[in-house]
Amino acid sequence: METLGFLMEGFAVALTPYNLMFALFGAFVGTLIGCLPGLGPANGVAILFPLAFTLGLPPETAMILLTSVYAGAMYGGRISSILLNIPGDEPAMMTCLDGYPMAQKGRAADALAISAIASFAGGLIGTIGLIMLAPVLARFALSFGPAEYFALFLLAFATLGGITGKNPMKTVIAATLGIMISTVGIDISTGTRRYTFGVLELYEGIDFILAIVGLFAISELLFFVESRMGGGRKKMNVGKLTLTFKELVSTVPTQLRGGVLGFISGVLPGAGASLGSFISYTLEKSVIGKKGTFGEGDIRGVVAPEAGNNGASSGALVPMLTLGVPGSGTTAVLLAMLISLNITPGPLMFTQNADIVWGVIAALLIGNVLLLVLNIPLVGFFVRLLSVPPMYLLPIVTMVAFVGIYSISNSAFDLYFMVAFGVAGYFLRKLEIPVVPIILGLLLGPEMEKNLGHALVLSDGDWSILWESTLAKSFWLVAALSLVLPYVVGPVLRRRMNAAMKESPASD
Amino acid sequence: MTGLGDRLLGLGLMVLAVAYGWVAQQWPEPFGGAETVGPETFPTILAVVLVAGSIYLMVKPDPDAQWPLGRSAVELVVSLVVLVVYAMLLEPLGFVISTTLAVGTLSWRMGAPARNAFLTGLISAVVVFVLFNYGLALSLPAGILEVN
Repeated sequence: METLGFLMEGFAVALTPYNLMFALFGAFVGTLIGCLPGLGPANGVAILFPLAFTLGLPPETAMILLTSVYAGAMYGGRISSILLNIPGDEPAMMTCLDGYPMAQKGRAADALAISAIASFAGGLIGTIGLIMLAPVLARFALSFGPAEYFALFLLAFATLGGITGKNPMKTVIAATLGIMISTVGIDISTGTRRYTFGVLELYEGIDFILAIVGLFAISELLFFVESRMGGGRKKMNVGKLTLTFKELVSTVPTQLRGGVLGFISGVLPGAGASLGSFISYTLEKSVIGKKGTFGEGDIRGVVAPEAGNNGASSGALVPMLTLGVPGSGTTAVLLAMLISLNITPGPLMFTQNADIVWGVIAALLIGNVLLLVLNIPLVGFFVRLLSVPPMYLLPIVTMVAFVGIYSISNSAFDLYFMVAFGVAGYFLRKLEIPVVPIILGLLLGPEMEKNLGHALVLSDGDWSILWESTLAKSFWLVAALSLVLPYVVGPVLRRRMNAAMKESPASD
Repeated sequence: MTGLGDRLLGLGLMVLAVAYGWVAQQWPEPFGGAETVGPETFPTILAVVLVAGSIYLMVKPDPDAQWPLGRSAVELVVSLVVLVVYAMLLEPLGFVISTTLAVGTLSWRMGAPARNAFLTGLISAVVVFVLFNYGLALSLPAGILEVN
């Protein structure tokens, strides 16, 4: 099989000691970032991104580092869910439901161990799905013309809010703002200086690294300052591991179901990891029915969402790698890394940069094993870090972001820009304008304009080419649907997710 | 009036969109004659979309967010000032001193005892400086601590 051969080559890339070291480092830092409340995977990848860039790492190493951080953050999110009943990141929300009750019953160690195993299973299933699906999708995407790409980008923006999103119009506004920022600078096809106002620094456009770090990391600091939660929380006791082998085996079907469901919702536009873990949890609840003790510390209630969200995180890589269209904040940052490494994402990447694609996929498999090994014995260490108050941690994280940005260009000008993006991000997030579409707009804007231009050159100025083919038509249709659906089914779904949170006795 | 935040935002975005669209119409025709897609086509579409979005915001605003008042607002402004001053002093004062001050002030304002806060700042500054300059061979400004 062709794919297997590529995968072997991928392993050859990922298993070099140099890359392995970065995978281990990424997995470790990722878990750390994931378990700290307030620092989600997108933030973590965003802060490390400038560093990976300035260190001048080879492209495959840089991508391996960032994907390991991503996978690690997904693992780490569960630790604070279980111990503190505070999700470390959004997808880990469902893990609170049964994880925290388990911890209260004195089975914290078991919950942590089984959730690490479930994360591993979910990640493994998701990566296998990625290996099978990605080459097929990439081959299919080769037939896309510029008009299809243009429609696909629209689809990506329209689904970004997700069907649980509150106000799709705000997603549209955010995406438009992002694309508008991307038009600043010299126009690539005509050389016209657009929105530069004679400022030399603006000729090359606004670097999206500044926007990413500012919008994510700096605005997060401001939110933290506002909430004044600097004090941190008391240390939790993990206790002894009492998990039996029999219990572990009994959760295997749950792990499989969760992983597969998670993967599917990761691949689908607009679903994502949060919905993946939610669906896995509710399905598990209805499959087991009354026999389970869901909400009171059922072990399967910990397994299902963890397998789900880790499956989803691998699934989310499928559209990013094959189409160049990310579906979440974290995959958007990974795409930004690819673009700044001068690699054109999309179907051609599978032929032109096969070593990078398959190296990253192999690194995901290796990363999952590393994470499992890291997470079981080192869990005590991560727990201890959880009790470091954010008032020490966040300023240091901010400083690392400053250093990363400064070392790219050695200019203070960029730092002011980053702070400005941070302030803008704070106000926009306060007004519930999501920041991820802004970043995606910044990344995809130039491609979108280029494809629009190509399509119209092909059609000799006839705009109807944009929705002529069946494929393009269906993209437009799905895009329109995903802007309308949130008004119809969104409130119902949101109510159910909230109801599930409230039902649990742990959410006091 | 409820939804004031969204209405103001809508108004601001409307002004931005109109200005953005207007500027796009002022560019000279590119060398070689006009094409269907010139430099102004895409920005014009964007301006129209944003105008539509801003009208929606003004007509159907969401309920207002809870804005920080009093001390929280002051703390926010202080942190912002720290970030800007940090960026300003990074080169003249050098990395170690400016970082100690910035990280220290931030964590002190977030509630840490002053001595611990500045100690954290100093330690993290020295560690990162040594790591970057000697470990990773990326030079951070030494500033007034420079030894020649």
